[in-house]
Amino acid sequence: MIPVSSSAQNTGRPAGGTAVVDLAEAEDIKLRENAGRSYSQGALVRKRFFRHKAAMVSLVVLTLVTLLAFTSIGFAGIPGWWDKSYTSAATIVNGGKPTLSLVPQFLGGEGLRWGEHPFGQESTGKDYFALVMRGTQQSMIIAAIVGLLSTVIGAAVGAISAYFGGWVDSVLMRLTDLIIVIPLLVLAAVLGQMASGLELGIIPLAVVLGLVSWTSLARLVRGEILSLREKEFVAAAVAMGAKPGRIIAKHLLPNTIGVIVVNATFAIAGAVLLETSLSYLGFGVTPPDSSLGLLISQYQNAFTTRPWLFWWPGMMILAIALSVNFLGDGLRDAFDPRQSGAHRRKRGFFSRRASVTEAGATTAGGLAAAPTARGAGLNDAPVDADGRPNQPHNTSGFGAGGGQGGL
Amino acid sequence: MNAKAFDGKDRDMVENNAGSHAASTPAAEQGGLVPGPVTAPHPVTGPATSAIGVVQRHDDLGGEPILSFRDVDVRFATEFGSVHAVKGVTFDVKPGEVVALVGESGSGKSVTSSTAMGLLPPTADITGSVKLAGREVLTMTPGQLRGIRGDDVAMVFQEPMTALNPVLTVGDQLTEALQVHGIAYGTEADKRAVELLTMVGIPDAASRLKQYPHQFSGGQRQRIVIAMAISCSPKVIIADEPTTALDVTVQAEILELLRSLKNKMNTGILLITHNMGVVADMADRVCVMLHGEMVETGPVHQVLQHPQHPYTQKLLAAVPRLGATYEVAEPEPVTATQSQAVYAIEAEDLSIEYDHRGKKNRVVHDVSFSVAPGEILGLVGESGSGKSTIAKAVLGLLPVAAGSLRIQGEDLATMPTKEQRRLRRKIGVVFQDPAASLDPRFPIGDIITEPMVVHGVGDRRSRLARAEELVDAVRLPRSVVNRYPHELSGGQRQRISIARALTLDPEVLIADEPTSALDVSVQAAVLEMFAELQSRYSFACLFVSHDLAVVDMLAHKVLVLKDGRQVEQGPTENVLHDPQAEYTRRLLAAAPVPDPDLQAERRQERRELLASLGEAAY
Amino acid sequence: MLKFILRRLGSSLLVLFGASILLFFLVVNSGDPLSDLRESQANNRDQLIATRIAYMDLDRPWYVRYFIWLQGLGGYLLGQGTLGTNRSGQQVADLLANAASSTLRLVVLATVLAIIIGVAVGIITAIRQYSGLDYAVTFLIFLFFSLPVFWAAVLLKEYMAIGYNNWIAEPTLNWALIIGLAVILGLALQAAMAGSLARRAFTFLATVAVVVLGAYLMFALDMWRNPRLGPVVQLVIGLAVAVGATALVTGLRNRSVLKAGLVTVALGMVGYYATYGILFANPNGWIIAGLAVITVLVGVLVGRLLGGFSQGSAVTVSVVTALVMGTAIIAEHMMNYWPALLRVKSRPISTIGSETPNLKADFWVLFLDKGTQLLLPTILLTIISVATYSRYTRSSMLEVSRQDYIRTARAKGLGERQVILKHAFRNSLIPITTIMAFDFAGLIGGAVITERVFGWKGMGELFATGLHQVDPAPVMAFFLVTGTAAVLMNLVADILYAVLDPRIRV
Repeated sequence: MIPVSSSAQNTGRPAGGTAVVDLAEAEDIKLRENAGRSYSQGALVRKRFFRHKAAMVSLVVLTLVTLLAFTSIGFAGIPGWWDKSYTSAATIVNGGKPTLSLVPQFLGGEGLRWGEHPFGQESTGKDYFALVMRGTQQSMIIAAIVGLLSTVIGAAVGAISAYFGGWVDSVLMRLTDLIIVIPLLVLAAVLGQMASGLELGIIPLAVVLGLVSWTSLARLVRGEILSLREKEFVAAAVAMGAKPGRIIAKHLLPNTIGVIVVNATFAIAGAVLLETSLSYLGFGVTPPDSSLGLLISQYQNAFTTRPWLFWWPGMMILAIALSVNFLGDGLRDAFDPRQSGAHRRKRGFFSRRASVTEAGATTAGGLAAAPTARGAGLNDAPVDADGRPNQPHNTSGFGAGGGQGGL
Repeated sequence: MNAKAFDGKDRDMVENNAGSHAASTPAAEQGGLVPGPVTAPHPVTGPATSAIGVVQRHDDLGGEPILSFRDVDVRFATEFGSVHAVKGVTFDVKPGEVVALVGESGSGKSVTSSTAMGLLPPTADITGSVKLAGREVLTMTPGQLRGIRGDDVAMVFQEPMTALNPVLTVGDQLTEALQVHGIAYGTEADKRAVELLTMVGIPDAASRLKQYPHQFSGGQRQRIVIAMAISCSPKVIIADEPTTALDVTVQAEILELLRSLKNKMNTGILLITHNMGVVADMADRVCVMLHGEMVETGPVHQVLQHPQHPYTQKLLAAVPRLGATYEVAEPEPVTATQSQAVYAIEAEDLSIEYDHRGKKNRVVHDVSFSVAPGEILGLVGESGSGKSTIAKAVLGLLPVAAGSLRIQGEDLATMPTKEQRRLRRKIGVVFQDPAASLDPRFPIGDIITEPMVVHGVGDRRSRLARAEELVDAVRLPRSVVNRYPHELSGGQRQRISIARALTLDPEVLIADEPTSALDVSVQAAVLEMFAELQSRYSFACLFVSHDLAVVDMLAHKVLVLKDGRQVEQGPTENVLHDPQAEYTRRLLAAAPVPDPDLQAERRQERRELLASLGEAAY
Repeated sequence: MLKFILRRLGSSLLVLFGASILLFFLVVNSGDPLSDLRESQANNRDQLIATRIAYMDLDRPWYVRYFIWLQGLGGYLLGQGTLGTNRSGQQVADLLANAASSTLRLVVLATVLAIIIGVAVGIITAIRQYSGLDYAVTFLIFLFFSLPVFWAAVLLKEYMAIGYNNWIAEPTLNWALIIGLAVILGLALQAAMAGSLARRAFTFLATVAVVVLGAYLMFALDMWRNPRLGPVVQLVIGLAVAVGATALVTGLRNRSVLKAGLVTVALGMVGYYATYGILFANPNGWIIAGLAVITVLVGVLVGRLLGGFSQGSAVTVSVVTALVMGTAIIAEHMMNYWPALLRVKSRPISTIGSETPNLKADFWVLFLDKGTQLLLPTILLTIISVATYSRYTRSSMLEVSRQDYIRTARAKGLGERQVILKHAFRNSLIPITTIMAFDFAGLIGGAVITERVFGWKGMGELFATGLHQVDPAPVMAFFLVTGTAAVLMNLVADILYAVLDPRIRV
């Protein structure tokens, strides 16, 4: 009764190397014989991320800066290896000039030297290295707390808003609008002034910044989940009786992780800059504590006389913000390789998608992405815009004879 | 002034193209728009081409090909090395001839055709020779390529919804090619655009010129794309899956249109398709491609009726045909006398609405059907018929607006949440898109056992055992449970989808176009497996499909839908082999079969059917 | 469509209302408005406190104070509103009027520049994806993203303002600087133009030669202290713009568009002589605004009359040509007064203030003075938001370039220029309209800092002082302006969206 010949009999793949002409069968052979490691989406993202040079450099810089800031002057009562404190004044040596030297003697410099006050001294003789390290610590704390808080709030608001829709969505989105319409700096300044009244150090300020900088993430996550919600795997989960909590936590949020992580980094960079701006305006960290923005604010007029007081904190801010931003860029490329610069391949403005799709499908050697590459979105298909497969194994083409190539 | 500009330009073209665009007297015998049977290209004396309205008829070239591929070989440089996409392909397209390039995904058929327009990315390394009207295309400069694109060789794309620029008017996009190639400007170009639109069967063309693509239906947009393609009277048209995205009745119209234009203009058509029915309907000659190689080529009768290569045989055998059946379970009859037996699914006067920002949009009207345990009901219709909407409502994803919908005698929509969960254990689902129906972040094992986790069935070990059992049942290696969806092909993913649907031994299975995104041979394998599983587990099934042949092979009963209303329903053999409703007859008449003689007959029958209804064939 | 916009406007106003309550509440509770007086040693301390309590209604709960503020605001509907008083009893509305004009001048100018430059840079980097230029621009953009505004401002002051002021006093040729600049410009330009190696080399050398020669000529002709243009230069500028715009919009093959452009140049030269007297004497802002309107009208008219079947393109070319020529004419008159400015203000770019106080001079000198004062803050703000726009444009262009209709356009035989400008560009602008509104609000935040750094008495000052003093009225006035601006920008974005995308025009 079955008119369609059942799978393998008439066209099998005898030892002689006759062609396997059944697409479905070829796929199965491919799958069976493919002993290579399986890569989850996460593993693929990690691979791409570690190939991103700028992000890797940034990661190293950020790690070094963090280590330097926390080990040098110590943290939370634990003493560090630097003996001078950022609070105690001292006599000014040599006009407070920095003793750090990085130019070797044979190049006409003073040799590699750390010295007594590597970053110099400020007007009351406090060690500027300790002050800058303290400021860097503050920025790092801000970065961590804001990153965490804004991500959690933003992702939760966005996900709940998008999943439930209706009045829940309306209320949450109007709330988001309400916060967006007040310029971020203004809101942060007002809340920062309230927080600095508490005199609990940097933590309240960080919390406040986290409470106001989640809005863009909420909108992005909402948009992302609105489109994910239409995906059939979500419909399948609903149909099998999964509860909303499970669907959001297991299906929706993990699939928006790219947007979330990337935007967390940008929120962090933004928050570091925002804190320095607030401190500069006098609504953030206030003396006697130190912050990078505060240091610049205090010594901006010393530029012509003692430029190091201006340069060190500024360069520190720049280094932190720049590396966090580049990390974010690397993550974005890793999660969404469509616009990635990771593959330094000359590609014209117009990557003619359709024509390459088939080529890509062939590449997958596994025909793996073949039928889906036609219209599928990138979140699911492992093929990027050019139809390049992201399967690290299986790189050889599926030979026409079926006997060679990937088989 | 405009007319003058046109004349001048045209004369330039004559000089440039050695007479291809000579403005001569219209050929009166070709002026009509009535599609006739395929006429043998008649010998033309005198001028090389002649104008018919706004397009021109091309010369036969004395049997010389207009487009010829010689040992075309394409490699792509990728980050993982070179990919050999096309491996030395040779064939010709003659004026007035339709050559079908057939193959499944990854066969290299689109890449091959793109070489004729120079549309491949710079990463492509192309060798061999592609000659268009005697000129080598592969060595052309970008400027020369732009000169032939649209003018000598034009393209019709697969996806009419995205092929037109959404922010420009249709008129603007139509006249663009005319202006670029110096054929007509300004109001003269507008006039031509109106004629072109009329020619491809868009009524009231003058006023529609100012409209935007989103104001046209999918079929109309494909007509506009075709109008754009013929606007400069190209010598060759490359049609890349021109009807794949369209409904079957629209497909028939578009194919008729292409045929009549080809006859009128004597252009060569390179038709890229995976649909053997379309090949039988259109092609004069066929080239079958597999993994970048041409495995078989010849006249359409020879290739389709006496295929030589095993792949071609396989491909033809895999095409679903009306009249063939799979072995499936016999349904348990539900009669009034059996007091305890209930229908698996029962709908009475079912109406469903979409709520679009407070505006209710009713898409399903008063549909009634019933599915007995172990029975397969085929839900058939074109896009917009509401067939998927009904499937969604059965799954409880959409509310019922009026009427009743009971699953195993219970009303899912009005049940408390807890009860709903209990009932949902008994329902399995398989969706259409293999790319979207599996969560990309879950390994296959977790995907298959998710229903067990959701309903708290079994422990880790028993779940794994169940997953392996199901993987066996869908004939995949057990190691697949540790793999991720992106490592699987579309067909394999669809099989995983089926396995997931069966995890909790459902009594009802909803299959929403489960094979329509798959290649034909993969579809055959999946369908066969589906039938086998159904006869093993004998679940009741609501099988949604646009493909009448697929439904004919699987379903016990059929329900035909149109615009949200039921047209006809009954046992499959009655509805699909002795249709009563006019719409069902139309649907059946429009579906092409992979046999050129049979298809020619069916084409004639369809014309007669439409003529009897007072309609044109396209 | 109108309904859509009205509904959006309504919901924006509602959000604005809610935000005003929130902000008022937060400001009132952000500290102690009397703290400075409590620590005061003055004899009349108690009296001062009582006065302030009276001015600020401190004896009433916050919601009553908000209601009073709202009532004052509502009064504007009847023509007699008030924005309340600050803690010393001054009318906030009077303070705002002065502050708002300088801030808005700054922010609007920076926004316009940022959009133009950002979109252009975005398109170029998208076209030249993965080129050296793309990488360099990407790096610069990340640098700008990461730059603390106030820190960069100090650098700008030091190296641009003070350096320039020192130099202009006695200009000397700094060959190292000029050649360095020329090489950077040459490298950038050859990367943007791309093409074969020979073409790139030619572009590079030509650019370097032009820059070096130009710098030398400017110096030799004493252009730095005594700049001037003259009719010949005006004509050359006009012709270059007309031909360039035509080449970009339709290609030079389209004669009627080119003709429209050239006729506009001729009319521009007529205008140059006709207005010379009016502009050379002591004009005012209204005259210039009127002339600008006339310029645009002439451009539209010429394009319409001469455009033939490509009227749209002809109008674009004519208007662009007319506007550039108009700007050049204004520039010439400004240049004429540059020596006069140098006489009254020997260090032209001062680092503090939005205008030189107590400067009594002609219109053009005052105009130049405001212009030079606007220079640094505008550069700073533009740099910050150029980053956003170019990044968005780039990714939007790349996204659009993957669409099927771009392939269709290419398959028709269109050239790159048409594919990019006609098919890709318009589609890629659609998502950019939505970030415009967001960016504007962010820019106002940036303006607060910029004003502080450059010592402007703008709205930022109003806000910062108000907040420090826990005085809600000035803060609310600031919010009123920024909030209204945000709502307006949203509205503009919505309208632009509808103009660009026919799908939502219902």
